[in-house]
This record gives sequence, C-alpha cells and structure tokens, in this order.
Amino acid sequence: MGKQTGNVRMSLQTLKVLELFLENPTEQLSGAELYQRSGIASGTLYPILMRLESAGWFVSKWESIDPSSAGRPRRRLYRLTLTGLKRASEVFASFNPRVLA
Amino acid sequence: MSRPKWAWRIDRWLIRRAARSAPAPLSARLEEEWLADLAARSGALSRLRFAIGCCWATRIIAYEHEPSRAPVISSVVADKTLVPYTDPNHGFLSLRSSTFCLVVSLHALLLYGFITALSHTRGTATPDPLQTQDLKNPTPHELPLPLPAPHLKDLNIEVPLPDTHLAYEPDPSNDLTTQIAKEPSQPSPAQPVPAHVTKQVQGGPGAGFPNPDDYYPERSRLVDEQGIATVNVCVDAKGRLTSDPTTLQSAGSPRLDEAALKLARAGSGHYRASTEDGQPVASCYPFRIRFQLKN
Repeated sequence: MGKQTGNVRMSLQTLKVLELFLENPTEQLSGAELYQRSGIASGTLYPILMRLESAGWFVSKWESIDPSSAGRPRRRLYRLTLTGLKRASEVFASFNPRVLA
Repeated sequence: MSRPKWAWRIDRWLIRRAARSAPAPLSARLEEEWLADLAARSGALSRLRFAIGCCWATRIIAYEHEPSRAPVISSVVADKTLVPYTDPNHGFLSLRSSTFCLVVSLHALLLYGFITALSHTRGTATPDPLQTQDLKNPTPHELPLPLPAPHLKDLNIEVPLPDTHLAYEPDPSNDLTTQIAKEPSQPSPAQPVPAHVTKQVQGGPGAGFPNPDDYYPERSRLVDEQGIATVNVCVDAKGRLTSDPTTLQSAGSPRLDEAALKLARAGSGHYRASTEDGQPVASCYPFRIRFQLKN
C-alpha cells in the first residue's frame, strides 16, 4: 500500500500530512489544526504523527500558553525537522504530483 | 444549543481510556494532547468521532511500539538514534494476509451458501402451514356398520331377451362342436391317438348386437321381401371382426343380402367369441339373419 522511505511507510494520508508541513516548513501545527486542514480522522492522523516523530522527521512540543488565561488547554505542536524536510522533499520529488491531486 | 454534560463525559472517558491503553511513556502525553484537541472540536458528533478515532489510534500506536514487532534495521538520522518503525505487515501471517484470507473465506462461504440454498429450494414446494383446530368436546367417531356379505347363490339375474322376432340361428351344418367331437371317433390307423375331447362352443351375436329391423331395406319393406341370409364372420377372442363378413347363403334378394352384410359389419365388437374349454378363442362361424316383416 505505502511506499517505504527510510523507516517510514508512505501512505496517501502520510503524504497529505507532509504536504501540509511543506507548504510552510517552519509552521507548527497541532493535531486539531491538521484535522481541519486535511480532514484525516484522528484514528489515522495520530499514528502518522507518532510514526514521523519516531523517525525523526517531526519534533513536537507543548504549546507555551497559560491555559487559565487562554481559556483552553495547551496543545501539542508538531514541526518538521531538517531531516524531515529533506526526506519529505525527496519523497514528493519521486512521486507523481497527480497522486495528491 | 448547549452540549449535554453526559456527552462531554462520554467523550472524555473514551479519550482517557484510549490514552491509558497506549504505551506507558506516551499515555499522559496522549491524554493531554487529545483532550486539548477535543476541546478544539465543535459539534457533538464530531467530538464523538474524534474520541472513537483516538481509541483506534491508541491500538495502532501500541501495536507499533510493541518491542517484539521492532524491525531489525534501525537508522540514524541527524545524529539521533531513531525508534525503529514497526511494520504491522511483517511476520508469518501479516495483517494484510490475514485480512485477505478472511475476505476469501467469507466469499467462499457465501458462495457455498447460495449454491446449497438453490439446490435445496429447486423443485421443492413449500408445505402449507399446518392448521389445527382445538375440539373442546370431541365426539366419538362412529364406524359404519359392516355391509352384509352378498349371497351370490340367491342372486337371480334375469337378462332381458332382445325384443325382436328376428332370430339369429347358427348354421347346424357348420357346427364345430359336432365336427371336433366326431374326429376322435375316426382315429388314423397309422397313428392311434388317444381320444381327447375339446369342448368347443360356437359363438354368435352377443349383447348389444344391432337390431336387424334397423337395417331392413325400405324398398324390401315396400315389396314385402323376406328371407333368411346365412353370413360367415371371423371374430377374435373379444368379439371383434377380423375380416369382412361373407354371405354363405342368400336370402333370395340382393338387398336383403347386402343388409345382412351391413348388419354383420355393424355388429363388430358385439359378437360372442367361440370358446374352447371355456376360454374365448378367435374363430369363424356362420349364423343366420332372418328378415321378416311383422305385419
């Protein structure tokens, strides 16, 4: 089903997540934002995030806000690493762009 | 419209339960992360879907973090040792292979079911539902009285004689009984055969035979033609003609002779067959037909 790149299996949902990060590689996105942008269900999205983080493509950290003043709990934010950026770029270069159309 | 509290509780309970099922190092993190993302969702159904999705996600995460499923190969990226990625499809019977086998088995089972169901229903009629009736006061069934045994000896059957004055008379010159009875009395000198008398009875017109009045020629009535014609017929064991009847002796008028032949033909099936020792046999015999005017 997916294309194995390094230690990460490439599925269509994984490519969609990577595509969102490649649009702005310095952007930090939470799981809720990724769901809003990609529409990937939580049952698929979080295993992908954990997988990419384990492979070193992503790093994550807690949002630096005060929950009481913000009126909401802090979120976990994900960001591309340099390795992730390089490997993701290689993956998309090897794929036909119409795959994600 | 405010979301009911019990729905909130269900969503949070599902997420907490899912997070606790995750690997221990990730449990607290996932619980806080998922609860925060849950709060960002709007809509009761969307939250419920999110919570159920987390339950599924934690199973995948736990599966992939299982040490026994870690691949042999690990890589180093950016000077950092990576946690090996777990492929759920490795092993003797992978998840993909198991699913494929399951799908194939279900298809085979369905196909077998269709085939056997069709073969059983073809040509069989569905029986009508059994209808029962509860009898509160059942009446004893009365058997009919047995019929009295018939007294055949006392039975006196009278067969009405045909109402005609025209009689059929067998030809005495051609009496088979007489001939056969005479044969044993003249044994051949070369081959003496012990006498064996076969009782033969010549046939004749039987029940249902046509009335000669119906075949009396009209012209013969006008000219007062009368006479007796001798006709020879050959009949089988059932009284049916086996050949066309012939006239042995004329009645003195061609019209009467022709009428006699017509009558003999019309009587096919109503002749009494000749018998030998009581058994009907095919034979030829003559009989007379008398045409006589009543007045």
